[in-house]
Amino acid sequence: MKKALQVNPTQMFNAPLLLFIICAAQIGVGVHGFQSFIYEHAKKDAWISIIISFLAAHIIVFIIFKILQLYDSNDIYGINLDLFGKYFGNFVNLALITYCGLAYFVIIKNYREVINTWVFPDLSPAFITAILLIIVIYAFTGGLRVIIGICFFSFFLSLFIPIILLFPIEYSRINYLLPILDSDFISILKGAYYMTFTIVGFEIIGTLYPFVKEKKKAQKYVHFALFLTLMFYLFIMFITSTFFSGEQLERTIWATLSLLSIIRLPFLERVEIITICFWMIIILPNLCLYAWSAYRGFIRIIDITEKKFILIFSLLIFIAAFPLQTRIQIEKFNNFFGSVAFYLIFVYPLFLYFIALIKKKMFRKKGGKG
Amino acid sequence: MFFRKKRNKASLKKTLEQSPPPSQNEIDAEQSQPSTSKSHKDDITTKDLSKGPANNSTARKDDPETISSSTEIFVKDIKKRIHSPADLVIRYVSDTITILYIDNLIKEDILNEKILPNLQNMNEETPMRIQKLLPLPRVTVFDRMNEVIETMLTGAVIIHVAGHNLTTLVIIPAREARSLTSPENESQVIGSQVGFNESLSTNVSLIRRYILNPNLVNEKIKVGKQTNTSLALLYIDGVASEQNINTVRQRLNSLDVRDIIDSAEIAELIDDSSLSLFPQILLTERPDRFCDDLLSGKVGILVDGSSMGILCPYTFIEFFQSREDKNLRWPIATFVRLLRFLAIFISAFFTPLYVATLTFHYEVIPQPLLIPLSESRAKVPFPPILEALFLELIIELLREAGARLPTKIGQTIGIVGGIVLGTAAVDAGITSNILIIIVALCALSAFTTPNYMMGNTVRVLRFPIIILAGFWGYYGIMFAFCMLLIHLLRQSSLGAPYMSPFYPLRLKSLADSIVRLPYPFIIRKSPNARVEDPELSTMQASLKDQKKVKE
Repeated sequence: MKKALQVNPTQMFNAPLLLFIICAAQIGVGVHGFQSFIYEHAKKDAWISIIISFLAAHIIVFIIFKILQLYDSNDIYGINLDLFGKYFGNFVNLALITYCGLAYFVIIKNYREVINTWVFPDLSPAFITAILLIIVIYAFTGGLRVIIGICFFSFFLSLFIPIILLFPIEYSRINYLLPILDSDFISILKGAYYMTFTIVGFEIIGTLYPFVKEKKKAQKYVHFALFLTLMFYLFIMFITSTFFSGEQLERTIWATLSLLSIIRLPFLERVEIITICFWMIIILPNLCLYAWSAYRGFIRIIDITEKKFILIFSLLIFIAAFPLQTRIQIEKFNNFFGSVAFYLIFVYPLFLYFIALIKKKMFRKKGGKG
Repeated sequence: MFFRKKRNKASLKKTLEQSPPPSQNEIDAEQSQPSTSKSHKDDITTKDLSKGPANNSTARKDDPETISSSTEIFVKDIKKRIHSPADLVIRYVSDTITILYIDNLIKEDILNEKILPNLQNMNEETPMRIQKLLPLPRVTVFDRMNEVIETMLTGAVIIHVAGHNLTTLVIIPAREARSLTSPENESQVIGSQVGFNESLSTNVSLIRRYILNPNLVNEKIKVGKQTNTSLALLYIDGVASEQNINTVRQRLNSLDVRDIIDSAEIAELIDDSSLSLFPQILLTERPDRFCDDLLSGKVGILVDGSSMGILCPYTFIEFFQSREDKNLRWPIATFVRLLRFLAIFISAFFTPLYVATLTFHYEVIPQPLLIPLSESRAKVPFPPILEALFLELIIELLREAGARLPTKIGQTIGIVGGIVLGTAAVDAGITSNILIIIVALCALSAFTTPNYMMGNTVRVLRFPIIILAGFWGYYGIMFAFCMLLIHLLRQSSLGAPYMSPFYPLRLKSLADSIVRLPYPFIIRKSPNARVEDPELSTMQASLKDQKKVKE
């Protein structure tokens, strides 16, 4: 049983980079239209749902770090193997790998759909997918250093998006938000549940942890990153729900994009077309990180080179992308992914922590007897 | 190459070890009983000679590198080795002494004034004695034929004394070199106006004049099986990182090439990734820039016969810096640097954006702007991609023609091409006015890059992006942008990250990257040279003291 993962020091990265990695991993296709799902349940108190979901995320990050700190330097896959043994551990790992694959798939599908709906109605979906896969293959074969570099640049390059989102403020009406706490608590919680699809991404820390240089500082940056994305989502939610009236928002699939489309600059209109294409660089870190995370888990089961893995992985995604085409199918799939993510990201770590604690106590007792 | 160098060193050592004892003996012998020793030696030589040419030839058959003691055979050997060129001069000074040299490779006035009179006055005619008596600094004695030939070709006079298996070589190279002129490819308004020329020794002396430091190390390396080009590996001991020095030295020594004419070839050969579009090693013809970089911990290479120095490791952003930025006031320098940075994006993405917008995304343009755009395009029968490629091609042709032609004609061509072709193309309805403005803007932006190699890359970059934009609009442009970003992230220079100081982020180095902050903020250290410089810390300490004093 491999207790500690051997990581080459040249592959390690500094803890502050986690800030950019987690931000880049969280912000993705969800931003285009997460508002209407939450609004459907939490109505005017959607922003409370967002805060609740982030509180939950903070707790989960705290617990994931507790689990990781029980082991010296190991990722979530190694911990599974250690706790559940070779066969069941690998089974759990396979589930996690499948989750990464699903996430990857969902991102590509959603982005593909947005491109087809807003920018190029006639562009072949297979072509759009292939382009994304090529970029990811090129980035992935560069190694973790390149992937983190993409996260870093993605973070800074997309800083213009909150700024252009300030334009619709002139049309916002604050009384769309009032009265506060209009919805009942259950509805707000339901709204928080529907945030899952948008909030996931921070779980990548479970795989990245052994590669962090200063492990003690890591947790601080992850929490800070979560706080930053919370601010970003709250900001978007605030602008959206003051801009659209309730019914309007429920009927809008991509509220953020609709918001952007009203912006008029003296030399530019329809900013959303540029933004959607630009979104490629925002989803790129998500895709790379999920592919990388899947790879880290996969090499525990079968020894395979990076190149072979990403080629096979991309081919599978490419083939799987054909059946899902319509909006309804994609939405169903998103919901399915949301519930899978909810159980794997928000429930499973609690369970894992529980088992890890028990196992540790048992070992201590054994050690005491011995 | 590496092995050969080692062997040379060993043989040199051998000769050095061997040569002093006999001379010492000789002196001793001379002092005690000069006549006997001489006669004894003469006896031996005459004996050798008397044994006849047969003996000699057998010895040579065994080892062709031995120097023949007979003048005739020696001259024949030399002629055979260098294929009896027309410029080989052979002069018999006296009965036993012969001198050989290649015309115009040596300083003839020294030969006339210092060597010939001395040789004619000499009585004791042994190579060792000649070495001692000649009043010149670089006189050596060799016993191997290949060394003799090699040294002769660098500019030396062979003095052969009949009856000895050794020869004396007087190294007096006359290198024809261009006088120092201002660097034309990297001109600047303020600052020194001297550029490297083609002579290695002049270039090294230029650098030594800037850096009066005993820690400036100059290592000699030879590269190229055919050309035997000398390289000078320069760095400042204690400032340049040991790892970088070793990497460069090892890469140079393991070069297995036939010929090297210019430093640009070496730069490409020792690159981290020769397949990349971007240069990872700087070529500069400015000694001040060269010294500046040496002082910030980079490793420099000078190549004999080339007016460009090589510097590594280099980062992407440093290619867009000019030495002049340090001579300007910092706000101005920062402005200029930001302008250049903007120019990269304009050059690479402006034409593609035009093509993509006019092909697919009309709705992005506001109505007031759309009217003049469509008016200017109304007459043009081609799709924007063809129109853009056509104009870009014209600009490239003009540039290439201008670069190849003599300066005066080049200017004329520029005017003819730029004005006549441009206006005529619009009048004929082949291109639109606005595109001409955009293409000219792109070309202009590409030429702001201070480094010629990087400028070429920035210019060529736009062609694939135009094609992608023409087929897939903004999606194609984003594809190109992502690939470019990943490509840059994947590059390294001497194993150090190429995108430093942005990624990995080094806040201290950012002060002198895309901006140039005032000098107290700048640490004279390249972002990739992670060596703690003791002087640096003292400098910072003194700055802190100054601040305290001010307070």
